[in-house]
Amino acid sequence: MASQQANRLAAGGLIDRTTPLRFSFDGKTMTGYAGDTLASALVANGVKLVGRSFKYHRPRGILTAGSEEPNALVELRSGARREPNTRATTIELYDGLDALSQNRWPSLGFDVMAVNSLLSPIFVAGFYYKTFMWPAKFWEKIYEPAIRRAAGLGRPSGVADPDHYDKAWAHCDVLIVGSGPAGLAAALAAGRAGARVILAEEDSLVGGRLNSDGGEIDTIPAAEWADAALGELRSMRNVRVMTRTAVFGVYDGGTYGALERVNDHVPVPPKHQVRQRLWRIVAKRCILAAGATERPIVFPGNDTPGVMMASAVRTYIERFAAVPGKRLTLFTNNDDGWRTVESALQAGVEIAAVIDARKDVPARCKALAEDDGFALYSGNVTGVRGGKAGISHVDIGLANGRRTTVSADTLAMSGGWNPSVGLASHHRGRPKWQAEIAAFVPDGCPPGMTVAGAANGELSLGACLRSGHEAGASAAADCGHAGAKHTAPAATDESVAIAPLWHVEGKQKAFVDFQHDVTASDVALAQREGFESVEHLKRYTTLGMATDQGKTSNVTGLAIMAQLTGRSIPQTGTTIYRPPQVPVAIGAFAGHHRDENFHATRLTPSHHWAAERGAVFVDTGLWKRAQWYPQPGENDWLESVSREVLAVRNGVGFCDVSTLGKIDVMGKDAGVFLDRVYLNAFSSLGVGKARYGLMLREDGIVMDDGTTSRLAEDHYYLTTTTAKAGPVMQHLEFCRQVLWPELDVQITSCTDQWATFSIAGPKTRDLLREIVDPAEDLSNEGFPFMGVREVQLRGGMVARLFRISFSGEMAFEISVPARYGDALARNLMIAGKPFGVTPYGTEALGVMRIEKGHVAGPELNGTTTAADLGLGKMMSKKKDFVGRVMAGREALVAQDRQVVVGIKPLDKTRRLRSGAHIIPRGTMVGPETDQGYVTSVCYSPIVGQWIGLGLVERGRERIGEIVRAHDPLRDEDYEVEICNPCFYDPEGGRQRG
Amino acid sequence: MRIACPFCGERENGEFTYLGDAKPKRPFVAVIEDGKGAEGEQDAFYEYVYLRDNVAGEMSEYWYHGGGCRSWLVVKRNTLTHEILSVAAAPGTGAAVVDVAMAKAGTE
Amino acid sequence: MVDFVWNVRSPLQQAVMPGRAGAIVPFAGVKLAEIRDFDLVQIFARRGQREATAKAVKKHYGVDAPAPRQAVSAKGATLIWSGPDQLMALSARKPGTFRPVDALRESFEGIASLSDQSDGRCLIRMSGLQARAMLAKLTSVDLHDSVFPVGTAATTSIDHTAVNLWRSENSEDGSPVFNVLVFSSFADSIWHTIVDAAAEYGIEIETRSAASV
Ligand SMILES: [Zn+2]
Repeated sequence: MASQQANRLAAGGLIDRTTPLRFSFDGKTMTGYAGDTLASALVANGVKLVGRSFKYHRPRGILTAGSEEPNALVELRSGARREPNTRATTIELYDGLDALSQNRWPSLGFDVMAVNSLLSPIFVAGFYYKTFMWPAKFWEKIYEPAIRRAAGLGRPSGVADPDHYDKAWAHCDVLIVGSGPAGLAAALAAGRAGARVILAEEDSLVGGRLNSDGGEIDTIPAAEWADAALGELRSMRNVRVMTRTAVFGVYDGGTYGALERVNDHVPVPPKHQVRQRLWRIVAKRCILAAGATERPIVFPGNDTPGVMMASAVRTYIERFAAVPGKRLTLFTNNDDGWRTVESALQAGVEIAAVIDARKDVPARCKALAEDDGFALYSGNVTGVRGGKAGISHVDIGLANGRRTTVSADTLAMSGGWNPSVGLASHHRGRPKWQAEIAAFVPDGCPPGMTVAGAANGELSLGACLRSGHEAGASAAADCGHAGAKHTAPAATDESVAIAPLWHVEGKQKAFVDFQHDVTASDVALAQREGFESVEHLKRYTTLGMATDQGKTSNVTGLAIMAQLTGRSIPQTGTTIYRPPQVPVAIGAFAGHHRDENFHATRLTPSHHWAAERGAVFVDTGLWKRAQWYPQPGENDWLESVSREVLAVRNGVGFCDVSTLGKIDVMGKDAGVFLDRVYLNAFSSLGVGKARYGLMLREDGIVMDDGTTSRLAEDHYYLTTTTAKAGPVMQHLEFCRQVLWPELDVQITSCTDQWATFSIAGPKTRDLLREIVDPAEDLSNEGFPFMGVREVQLRGGMVARLFRISFSGEMAFEISVPARYGDALARNLMIAGKPFGVTPYGTEALGVMRIEKGHVAGPELNGTTTAADLGLGKMMSKKKDFVGRVMAGREALVAQDRQVVVGIKPLDKTRRLRSGAHIIPRGTMVGPETDQGYVTSVCYSPIVGQWIGLGLVERGRERIGEIVRAHDPLRDEDYEVEICNPCFYDPEGGRQRG
Repeated sequence: MRIACPFCGERENGEFTYLGDAKPKRPFVAVIEDGKGAEGEQDAFYEYVYLRDNVAGEMSEYWYHGGGCRSWLVVKRNTLTHEILSVAAAPGTGAAVVDVAMAKAGTE
Repeated sequence: MVDFVWNVRSPLQQAVMPGRAGAIVPFAGVKLAEIRDFDLVQIFARRGQREATAKAVKKHYGVDAPAPRQAVSAKGATLIWSGPDQLMALSARKPGTFRPVDALRESFEGIASLSDQSDGRCLIRMSGLQARAMLAKLTSVDLHDSVFPVGTAATTSIDHTAVNLWRSENSEDGSPVFNVLVFSSFADSIWHTIVDAAAEYGIEIETRSAASV
């Protein structure tokens, strides 16, 4: 099997040759080893072409070996688990892995859309803004579908993700981002001092560049040192090492977002396990040790397969024992690039040539070329030859003006290193330019963060270790963990000398942003057209806007812009860095909260009883409420609801109303408090009585309504609507704690404490007499309308009974402790059996309140005053209350306000629709003739037609007037009569009877 | 963002609800006759209800620890940096006693 | 006339299925128990009655009232701090009582307001070696030993729903024990969320009477 892996070295690397893994890329089966990434396995198998580019569909190969990869994006897995735009460089190989290249049709080798490359003049910067402007109607039918087909990278699976995700919190003293030499040194220092440490590493291995760059630390090989460091860290109880965990954002208050790829490295997560977990890490201190990213040099043809970052070449050789080619060239402007030559030589790779752009190449490098007998050119790479099969030759422009060509299958390029400053800049900080390394470094950090190692521009191994150690020790000390002094791990400081080089001119396309196909000439065009600011450059050319967020391109792009405008790089500046630092799937942000877990659900005490009876449930806020109870033979909801309404109106029914908010208002000033909260009086309410109350917002608009009962001198029991229970509680706490702290009042929600049913209908008393202890007097005299008291129920139960009615019928509300709610529902069925008791749902409840003209949510809609609702007379004139003053404003007491009225179609067979606008007869429809709208509708089995409530201008003066209901949504227009909102028993005799 | 509730300790902002500028104080109403208070009360209430500062920088804000101890807090916060400078309990949290005379004086 | 039977039904009756759930492992990482049959009364000091309430608590329960963010065990009750000048008194239910506040009224008359929450909450106990890992998915509160030792209480949120969370004595295997009071109407939903969070560790589920713990 291993023989397939033509580019695999016989020894070395951090792979497990005893565990071969089969995988498939574009349908071709290959083999790699445990420890490989998909990218390293493709390198080992000699695969050069891995994808097509976004705009021009140019053939592309693997560019990097890390999460910054712009080219090697694949569709990973198949079916429902297919995940587009996955970076081959971060996919850990597993047996049976299945990946497809992207952005090609019909195949990677022969791609029809590559014609875009020929049409490239129209795909230049700003083409979105220029090309598809006119005619506008072409957009929907022609431009957009065509662009959508051609653009974009991978395809989503199109079906629900079968895997699970969750979210978790973690807390620590010191969070360390990155486990390279600086991160490990920091973790050791902070951990030894006794601080609670989290070391987050996006890779599956700790070590960072130590796994690729060799070297010695404390006189032992760096990889061995890293192993020992990891062992020590794992032995400390106060240190948590989190691999496969990428910190992607820095938020306020020392909160960091991180994504743990728990099971991305296996085909399917084990049962009960998540694929990915989103962490919110709360840390007192954070050490950013995220290293640096090597940047490409922009030269003609720099995107041809076979051109690879020098550090990536080194990683593939050292870590994965996979050689990207047989004849290597290096194009560098710095000393670090030369380390790739050393790696390649040790691996037995032939060096065709090194092209060093610097005027003065260090003697050490010259000596190396001489000793090993390869050509060293002072100059630039001016182009490459080759195509989708990879490069064949490298064209070189020499410093002396002459040209030459070398044959090679691999070109390693190194333009220097960009410290990973992203996370340090998430609070809008802008990095500063450091000329010695020709790169940006952090300039100030979010509170609590420090930067260590290469991320801070300290590029040598020795410097990384020292600054990591120092940062770790001082972060721990900041958290109160001084600990014993340790010395920093030691290593030599290798040279990192660099002479900046950004762009080599030429005729061929030279790419800045590989993923978004932005070339150097696009940057030049943006500059010519006036888009010189980096923020404009970004939007106009889309530079840095792909999923890689420009990790390999941003700095180069702005450096080229700086050259073009004659400004310095620091003057040109950077764009703003924002989370996420690495792509995060939406599924991870959603976590557990999807499908039936989208939000928490509240169930009423009779829920399971209602479910047994086949109730249809409706979501009202977080609650599930029984909407109606279908019976065999009923054809639709209207039949069921009408039956329930008539059963109540003619007999007796009951409905679970436990969802209403219930609040205990206690204390010696409870009455005064309620006087100030409600527009009507409550201190005057007698013990054992209930009263309907209306509360306003301070701006004079109605906030909520409900009945409030006085259970004792110093104890009121307040109810709210289902929807406003939370907001009212918050409002009352505000009144208590902020507005009137002098009042002795305590408030507590008791919504969930009580199971409450409304029992309504002329036979209500008959039912109650079955279940209430016979000693209790339920007559009008013994239990008058709006009376409240505790009663004994038969079988040994105590209940609160409230004589209040929402339906307009003789009615009581009965409350028992919630644990007896289920039993109460069942017992009401038994007690009511002789009277044909009928459970009813929220629909019937709604019908009956509309028939009675009672207002509810659609009328208490945040625009209506008490007077609008016909309740203006309730407003007390003897006391101050919330909203009193603002309710007196001119516009809120104007005569032409829209007020609640009843509405019924003249054609009794017509269905009235809520939302229909009220327009006078014989006028044109328009804003100036709009006089209101229909708020609530129902079919009333009592009236025998559809009826509704509406808010209509001067409505109360217009009872009997015929107007039009105009419904542009449903294209309906019909005549309706404005009528009294109370359609049923307007004298109220039934509820008092 | 994290807010250090004086009662609960530091908590994530998901437990809190924001109300806004804590500077406006509800005008004190002493006597009501025929539904009306003192002269000019509508102007005073208009200011209280509608005139809000929206500071780019440090400001005092009401936050409600509804996902915790249900206390109202006055949080001094820099709206540009989100830095929290101080957190204080509203005067009437818990069983706290407030000097009524002082409370009224502070609102006039 | 029939007589009526008043069966108790816990909001968790349908959700809680005693036995094993989640990953199949030799030792369940998380143990979940629904504790039933408890009385729960909120005691909320009246204005200016902070000290008087503390004294009344001491007199009634024989222990000092819990300091902020603390839960204390008294004879026959656990007192859990639940906000400024507020606490929850949790005790095993006395059979045949409908109004647990009656037994407290005399001690707290005019000093503190009492609200019966016995049916307003469900009590879920979580323990096991992975209980803390599971809770990290549910609460933003730091439950590390150094921050949340035995006896610590918090008012916080699970699934955007306010809860009381406190830590009681470690279980015999040395693993921490956390208790959470959740609103009854949310209990079914939150139970499922808890089970989902615990599934990967393997779960052992039981129901217990408050009198037996
Ligand atoms: Zn709090």
